[in-house]
Amino acid sequence: MNLRAMISSNSFVRGILVISLFALIFIFSVTYKHTIALRESTEILIRSYKIQGSLEQLFSCLRDAEIGQRGYLISRDSAFLNPYYSARSKSIEPYMQLDSLITNNPQQQDNLDSLWDFINLRFALLAHSLELDNEPDINKSRLDENMVRGDKVMDKIRSQINNMIELESLDFNEHQKDLTHDIYFTPNWTLFLLFFSLLVFVFSFIKINNNLIDLKKTNEYLNVTNESFRHAEDIGNFCSWRWFIDTNKFVFSDNQYRLLGCAPQSFEPTLENFLEFVHPEDRHIITDGVTLALKKAKPTSAFFRVIRNDGELRYFKSVSRLAASNGGKLLIGINSDITEQHISNMALEERNRELELSNKELASFNHIASHDLQEPLRKIQTFVSRITEKESSNLSETGKEYFIKVQSSLIHMRNLIDDLLQFSRATKTEKKFELVDLTLLLENAIQELIQDIEEKKAEINTSQLPVLNVIPFQIQQLFINLIGNALKYSQQHIAPVITINYDVINSDDYPFLKYTDQKKYHRIAVKDNGLGFEQQYAEDIFQLFYRLLPKAEMTGSGIGLSICRKIVENHKGFIFAESNPGIGSTFSVFLP
Amino acid sequence: MIYVLLADDDEDDRLIFREAFGEIKIKTTVKTVNDGVELMDYLNRNEDELPHILFLDLNMPRKNGLDCLSEIKSINRLKDIPVAIYSTSASEEDIEDTLVKGANIYIKKPNDFGTLKKILEEVITINWQYHTSGLNREAFLLNR
Repeated sequence: MNLRAMISSNSFVRGILVISLFALIFIFSVTYKHTIALRESTEILIRSYKIQGSLEQLFSCLRDAEIGQRGYLISRDSAFLNPYYSARSKSIEPYMQLDSLITNNPQQQDNLDSLWDFINLRFALLAHSLELDNEPDINKSRLDENMVRGDKVMDKIRSQINNMIELESLDFNEHQKDLTHDIYFTPNWTLFLLFFSLLVFVFSFIKINNNLIDLKKTNEYLNVTNESFRHAEDIGNFCSWRWFIDTNKFVFSDNQYRLLGCAPQSFEPTLENFLEFVHPEDRHIITDGVTLALKKAKPTSAFFRVIRNDGELRYFKSVSRLAASNGGKLLIGINSDITEQHISNMALEERNRELELSNKELASFNHIASHDLQEPLRKIQTFVSRITEKESSNLSETGKEYFIKVQSSLIHMRNLIDDLLQFSRATKTEKKFELVDLTLLLENAIQELIQDIEEKKAEINTSQLPVLNVIPFQIQQLFINLIGNALKYSQQHIAPVITINYDVINSDDYPFLKYTDQKKYHRIAVKDNGLGFEQQYAEDIFQLFYRLLPKAEMTGSGIGLSICRKIVENHKGFIFAESNPGIGSTFSVFLP
Repeated sequence: MIYVLLADDDEDDRLIFREAFGEIKIKTTVKTVNDGVELMDYLNRNEDELPHILFLDLNMPRKNGLDCLSEIKSINRLKDIPVAIYSTSASEEDIEDTLVKGANIYIKKPNDFGTLKKILEEVITINWQYHTSGLNREAFLLNR
């Protein structure tokens, strides 16, 4: 991955391009050097041929002179002497040529000098032979001796010429050997380097081509993104702007102008020009916001009103953040037209306030009603009890019967009022949470109900409950209501058995807890063997004033379980009922 | 003879209260006042004759029971009178407040005349010297 990234990087491509450029320069200089060397060796070859030729010419001059002289000596025809006389002058030209060819070779120059000396000697001997022959008394022996001497000098000349030719060819061979060695290696190297460079160029070309394709793709993608952003701005009623702080230059997106009710780019984008559109009372929000945004790195938002070109009032929200671009400071931001949201939010807030108020009124009404109703009711009860005690002798049987009915109605009314008061207390939002042992609260609840429990000969099985952060009196009330219900709706002739179980459960196992933010819940289940009810009513029984049984049969107010639910909701918990008619019910409370 | 004082603005309640004391076996003298201002006037006027026990309603016009309680407990001469709160409500708030301010016992006005008699008899037979509320909530609240 790393290697691949390295290969695909632009600097790598640049690097190998530079290398291959150097390789080409190298190839060129080597080739140039070898061309020069080749030319030199050709020159040497030509010179050596020329030297050979001149030497042979020189020798043949000598030979011509010798043959001519011999011809004259035998035939006495003076015509034979012509080549002998011209030979001397003919030998000057090849000598001069030789001299010029070997100027920079001292060894050959020495050789030439001694050769020239021998040649002169030979010519002298030839001349001497002719002199001896011309003498009146020809000394035969002296002539022969001179002839023999001349032959010997001729041999020396021959060997000297051979020497010089040999030396020249030796020189040439030496040079040729060096050249061949060099030239033998060079083509391979050149070819290799050429191929390498070619490869590099092909690779670089592909790479650059690919980069270009990528660039084109990126460019297209950028165009699409830009386009969709423009559309998004249009659809989402927002616009973007940039402020290059160092140069104090602004860029407004087209939609910025549209949101202000102007044609795109119809005025110069500056802060002052924008402020023209801002509600005069809100202009300080922008200027303050800008100062703040310039100070901190976090995004800052501002809400302000804008008066559009057509005079319409709009609500704007602006979020901006300081950013850095190419070393310069840049404030980027988005303005959104939130008029619709703002209006609906205001309506919602208004409704919320109304709701809160009416809720509060209802709660206090409930509290006051139930509280204030207690007083007259208590008096009625007290006076009725006075009458039935003190004045019963003055009453007819029917009157007494009526008073019994009045008393039972009063008891029912008292239950209703007590429960209503309790419900209003559960609703009131004074939430004093304390860390308490629920086992203790359960014990207190059982203590409160002890009279009923004993009366019904009920069996209560409790478990160890946890210590939780709760509103203690409410949880105690919850236990009282649940156990009280179990006692109240017990089956005739069967002693109630009430079992309180506790465990911790995983939210994921219960569909209704799955989407809460708690992973675990405490479950407290109150199980009885009472009358039970059809499961279809499991939800309804928690409604206020909902009753399953006719009034005459049971003395329920229809409030008890509503209080339970209210209490559990106050603790952000859940309560559910499961029941089987004739077998019993289980009320499960889930507390976080 | 036990001397009992009741401060209650409700005429019916005063009547029932008197009748209840009239029917119990222990001999008592019952004096009633109609509100908190009257109560404080009465206590300040009758310096020599302080009640053995004061029954105090909380919800009264002009000066309510809670203010009276604070005032009584701040006056050296009166602070040792045992105070029994005698109220219609038994809200947690009221119970807590009166307990903290030094009331000795809290009675919620019963619905039944028989119960009332029983409670009153119980209250006046308590030996107050030994019954210090001592911030014990269970002993403080006589009935629910």
